Parts: sequence; C-alpha cells; structure tokens
Amino acid sequence: MLLFSNTITSLENALKTSNIQQKVISNNIANADTPGYKAKKVSFQNVLNSEMASIKATRTDQRHLEFTNASTTGAVVKNKNSSYHSNGNSVDIDQEMSDLAKNQIQYNALVDRLNGKFKSLQTVLTGGR
Amino acid sequence: MTIFNSLNTSASALTAQRLRMDVVSSNIANAETTRGKFVDGEWQPYQRKMVEIKEKDSFSSMLSRAGTGQAGSGVQVTKISDDSSPFKLVYDPGHPDADAQGYVKMPNVDPLKEMTDLISSTRSYEANVTVFNASKNMLLKALEIGK
Repeated sequence: MLLFSNTITSLENALKTSNIQQKVISNNIANADTPGYKAKKVSFQNVLNSEMASIKATRTDQRHLEFTNASTTGAVVKNKNSSYHSNGNSVDIDQEMSDLAKNQIQYNALVDRLNGKFKSLQTVLTGGR
Repeated sequence: MTIFNSLNTSASALTAQRLRMDVVSSNIANAETTRGKFVDGEWQPYQRKMVEIKEKDSFSSMLSRAGTGQAGSGVQVTKISDDSSPFKLVYDPGHPDADAQGYVKMPNVDPLKEMTDLISSTRSYEANVTVFNASKNMLLKALEIGK
C-alpha cells in the first residue's frame, strides 16, 4: 500500500516545471534589452510527457511504444527565427509578463493542492479528530 | 541548481539597468562639457558613453546548456564604450575653447536619445522588480508546503 499517492509526485513534478518556467521568464525579461538575444520557452511536450508518465499503461505488444517513466520536467528551447526588435532580440515583454502572472498563480495553486493532500493524510492519521 | 537562481537573474538585470541609468545621467550632465579629455595639449569635448550588454555566460551555465538547454543566468555589462559620432560645432567666438574661426566643439550628446534611453531602462527596471517580487513570493509560498 502506498502512503503517499502518485498525486504528490505529479504535483512535485509540476512544481519543478513551474520553477524552471520562472527561471526562463526571469532570464527572458532580464535580457529584454540584450541585442541578439532569443527568447527561451519551456517546451510543453516534455511537460506533457512527464505527466503521462504517471498514467498507468500496459503494453500488449512488444512493438508498442514504451511509456517511459522519465521524470523530466520540460526542456528549455530557443526560437531562433522570430525577432521583435531591429537588434535581433525576440523577447515579447507583454507575453513574458502575462506568462509570469500565470506561472505564479499556477505555482500557488499547486502548493495549495499539495497542502490539501497532506491535510487529508493528516486527517486519516489522526482518525478524523 | 539553487533555489535563488531566478532571483540572481533578476538582480543581475537590475544592476545592468541601473548602470544604464547612471550612464544616461552622466551623458545628460555632460551635455555642455567642452573639456572632457585633455589630448595633445588640447581640450576635447565630452564623448557620449554607451553601455554594451550581453547575456551572462559562466562556464557552468554553458556546460549545462550544452547538455539539456538551461534557463540561463541573467545579463551582464561587457563594456562602456564611446560614441564616435562627430562633435557639434557651435559658433561662439567669445568662448575660451573656441578655435581660430570662432567655432566651439560641443559634445555629441543628443538629449532626445538620452531621454528615450532613460525611459527604456526605467521600464526594464520596473519589469525586473516585478519579476523579482514574483519569484520571492513563490519561494515564500514554497516554505508553506506541509504547514
């Protein structure tokens, strides 16, 4: 029997991703005036993959693709083709600021859920008293 | 990976933007300075200064970027360089620094350029303060886990 369910691991991974996202956003905004700097993004595909990893799946055939259990939390990718300024910088400050707000709310929500999870465990441990 | 990475990133940007503001104030303060540098027994007017910034690169960050692609670690000022555009010539025969024809060389500072630079760096500074506060609140929230 698992005392700590998979949900906690999922939340933990999501928090890690959120943390990386925060770093990427702060680096993008820090370099908003740097000539030639290309904005970075946390790729969603890897986030999706890491979430998929917590889903139980059975392979019925050896030739099926494996559901890897890698706990990667989003890779940082660079978009080299776009440009917002004449100096080759591609940071869209409005986009970055709204991403920042979004990420913060998401982080807070995740911490809240994690706390809720611990609370219910505690309720079980104390027998509802 | 330390938890204070994003705070350090924002801090480096704040430093860089503050330096940009310092350089702008130096330029505006010296907009009328005819004696900036003493070269070969002759006074040269003040030359407009510019800040060169680039993405911060440490060995460890380059190493980790080569592996997985990392967030980066902020911004740094590489150099404060001189603007080599020509000086403005003003006719003022009574001026102590006037040449034989009565012209005075004035600094190549354009107040309009300086003001846009100033506003740009102020806005960037504000944006980075917002990011700093956001990161700080996230760290404080993380301390609440399990409380």
